Amino acid sequence: METFRILIVDDEDDFREAIMKRLRARKMEVAGANSGPKALEMLDEQEFDVIVLDVKMPGMDGIETLRAIKQKKPLVEVIMLTGHASVESGIQGMQLGAFDYVMKPVALDDLMDKLRQAYERRVLQLEYGRKNI
Amino acid sequence: MGTILGNLKTLWRSLVKKEAVEEDIGGVFRFKYGLFKELLNSNTQLLNIITDMEEKLKGHQLFGMSYIRANASRAVFHAFRMVKSLDVLSGHRYSQLYPVLEEIHQKIKAELETKREGTAAALVLPYAAIFKEMVDVVGGKNAHLGEAQNRLQLPVPLGFAITTNAYDAFLAHNDLVEEINKRKLAIDINDVESIRQTSEEIQALIIAAQMPPALEQAILEAYEDMARQLGRGEALRVSLRSSAIGEDSDLSYAGQYLTALNVTADRLLSTYKTIVASLYTPQAISYRLVKGIRDEDTAMSVACLQMVDAKASGVMYSRHPVRILEDNIIINAVWGLGPYVVEGILTPDTYIVAKDADFTILSTQVMPKPVQLVNNPTGGVEERPVPPENQEAPCLTPEQMQTLASYALQLEKHYGVPQDIEWALDQEDRLLILQSRPLRLKKPTAGDVQAIPRLEGYPLLVEGGAVACAGVGCGPAYYVRDLADLKDFPDGGVLVANHSSPQFVIVMGRAAGIVADHGSVSGHMAALTREFGVPTILGAEGASKAIAPGTEVTVDAYSGRVYQGRVRELLELQQPRETHMQGTPVYQTLRRVADLVIPLNLVDPQAPTFTAENCQTLHDISRFVHENSYKVMFQVSDLVSYEKGGAVKLTAPIPLDLYIVDLGEGLRDRDPRETTVTVANIASVPFQALLQGMLHPDLQGIEPRPIHVSGLLAVMREQMLAPVGDRFGDRSYAVISGKYLNFSSRVGYHYSVLDAYCGNTINNNYITFSFKGGAADDVRRNRRVRAIARVLEHYDFAVAVKGDQVQARFLKYPCPVIAEKLEMIGRLLLFTRQMDMLMNSEYSVELVVQNFLAGNYRLDRLSLGQREPEPSESTEVPSTEVRRE
Repeated sequence: METFRILIVDDEDDFREAIMKRLRARKMEVAGANSGPKALEMLDEQEFDVIVLDVKMPGMDGIETLRAIKQKKPLVEVIMLTGHASVESGIQGMQLGAFDYVMKPVALDDLMDKLRQAYERRVLQLEYGRKNI
Repeated sequence: MGTILGNLKTLWRSLVKKEAVEEDIGGVFRFKYGLFKELLNSNTQLLNIITDMEEKLKGHQLFGMSYIRANASRAVFHAFRMVKSLDVLSGHRYSQLYPVLEEIHQKIKAELETKREGTAAALVLPYAAIFKEMVDVVGGKNAHLGEAQNRLQLPVPLGFAITTNAYDAFLAHNDLVEEINKRKLAIDINDVESIRQTSEEIQALIIAAQMPPALEQAILEAYEDMARQLGRGEALRVSLRSSAIGEDSDLSYAGQYLTALNVTADRLLSTYKTIVASLYTPQAISYRLVKGIRDEDTAMSVACLQMVDAKASGVMYSRHPVRILEDNIIINAVWGLGPYVVEGILTPDTYIVAKDADFTILSTQVMPKPVQLVNNPTGGVEERPVPPENQEAPCLTPEQMQTLASYALQLEKHYGVPQDIEWALDQEDRLLILQSRPLRLKKPTAGDVQAIPRLEGYPLLVEGGAVACAGVGCGPAYYVRDLADLKDFPDGGVLVANHSSPQFVIVMGRAAGIVADHGSVSGHMAALTREFGVPTILGAEGASKAIAPGTEVTVDAYSGRVYQGRVRELLELQQPRETHMQGTPVYQTLRRVADLVIPLNLVDPQAPTFTAENCQTLHDISRFVHENSYKVMFQVSDLVSYEKGGAVKLTAPIPLDLYIVDLGEGLRDRDPRETTVTVANIASVPFQALLQGMLHPDLQGIEPRPIHVSGLLAVMREQMLAPVGDRFGDRSYAVISGKYLNFSSRVGYHYSVLDAYCGNTINNNYITFSFKGGAADDVRRNRRVRAIARVLEHYDFAVAVKGDQVQARFLKYPCPVIAEKLEMIGRLLLFTRQMDMLMNSEYSVELVVQNFLAGNYRLDRLSLGQREPEPSESTEVPSTEVRRE
């Protein structure tokens, strides 16, 4: 599988580090951020293809972060992780253009599938961006 | 998403204006296909969520509110993604689905909203103002104590309640609700370690949190009031006891929460926080999980009572908890403070008092009581030796026993149900009631009433223990020295310990029995064992030494004996353990949410009721969107005007109505003016392989027809009755490229999707195949699911069967191997289609599998082997038992 650039945004250090380590073991290019603002900062500095975003974070929560990400980089794909989420967050996430919404904890194989699908969508969208602008 | 909409508008515009050049049409199609794939993907995920909820609704698996919330929000998300994809794909011809989805979403949201209602806003309340009706504000323990004092004029210690309003204010002041909920997600119900870790984190959060100033002031003022009334000033010591919502109701949360004794003024506030934190001890978390109690429905009120400097303490039952036929009052007593009785550290004295006019004392059983727990002058409690002259003396005089018995009877009469009461005797020989709550009685069984004689032929390991929960259990003995040992407790093990502990609740769902050297049937743990129905023997001196760890033992918790080995005669008396989830509040919540997710009302796409407005559940929405997405995606008439990028029909001798969309290099040498292609035009490697399988000579030209094998007639009738259009299935669709295949078909209720990539890079190659069999209760359709699973497993697929769904994967093999498997799936799909008519018994699953593996595809030449007698439906093996990892 071709590699693409992934950003994991989660305030739980253990979870974030574990996922990053395992994705790296699969030769993925992975970075991590422990908060929404941190993620946005990183987004200014580097390019990412897919972002994995925890819905529940202290301070700026996942939905707010998603909104800001999409304003900055509309074509970055975002996979949301369910926290103790309200049903509302499913609707909001979709409205804001999240690609998928998965249960946490998530099996690595499943996450890989989603990441690949999200990346495919991004490639498709980028192709379109070029042709229609 | 704005961008999709934006792009699509541009797209439609360019299409309408016919400005798009030819190559763009392929691109347009690829873009549409991207959306379509998302729609299909969400459809799959939604079906997975539905299948999982159906499993949970059987009530055998544990789950909590976070499971329901997470999956309800995911289900809504995927339904939304499907609606949006379809709406965009169709150029906004399905916008009427949005309000329908929104309505269902609102209903689901309403089911998940917090139900506990706040009442009067007082942060603390003195006992003089508390009655049993105020249970929601002060918790059960406080409410019953107030009731005993104010309505029955029974002696209780002076004190006040810190209300649930105080609890809410404390959590809100620190934003704790969100924080706690988030941490709870890390819990894996079956992993004791994850529960322990989460518990530690949550408790640390609570203990580190700030008290709201108003609450701090209210507690300190109430304390000073109390001190003034008693003339004690700062020297007043109190006990702080949990009085959680629900703690004393039907479910006994016996001993799950904290009690702090002999608390000094300076530790009052920190101790309050510790007690609140005890809502999240590992055993309280597991208890609520196992019992299906929603965290939203619990709240901690705290009882703050004048500390009794007890000479003696204990527990009494207004009726025997196990020997239901005996209607006497049972009093347990030890010297000093009460915890040594309820925690099972000592085996207490037992006095039995009749409920007659004179409160006749029927028996006084005195146990050796070498130690006692007393107040430490600097705060807290400590163990002290009991003076030798008292060690083997009863703790109460006959008159005191009778006074207590009269209190017990008054409480039982007042509440109308037997009571479980904690009491203390102070230094002035005043008897005080510390707590009263309903006693959970176990239903009598045959074994309870009939005395079981000692059985010969089995080594007797233990005799003479007291029965805390009657029953029979058998399993390997597992010795628990301290709580850390619980981590590795084996399923179905018999827990052996020195003394009883309410903390054993963590493994009670899995224990076959419990045997402890010490502990009393009136302790907290005993109440829990009755709630979980774990056969339990306590006060069995020397049991932990007599039972070697790992030995298989049979616990006879009718007569208080433990035998070595499996005692067949006793195991016949074993009671089935009930499923815990059903009937719990969490289960009911899932039931109501599931009613908005699972039922499928839109079954027939031809029916006039198959409309957006008639969608009542998320399943309806997904079915409606799914059906229409194919129409939007594959309408030949729409696309035929384009010379590239349209759907074409395959003409081939297979019983499928098959449409093809080529994403690029999937077809060759085709006449651009034709809307049909033949097998010769297929260039897609994976699709070629699949078709090759479907075109296997032995499967050619076979269509369902009568065969004279018994048991087929019923299926044939169904075939004849089915509408003609359905008989040979709905349309099937293949989306292909040179190396890619996505093949989906729906036949009646069955729905299958095959997705495969077959190229030069081994690591990119895969096959995923999923098959959903339709209505979960349709045994026959389920059989096909299992037959398919068996075959795929035989061919080295990783297979998971859940309910009526098979999911199989085959990853990272060279192209020829992938092609070979696809060829097999082609045969399998056609073969099992015809086999539905043979799926009339369990035996037929085997028949189908054997014949397929042997290459016998002709129905008229099937090897039927030795037919078993026709099994009846009731002897079916439930589908869940064939689940494979």
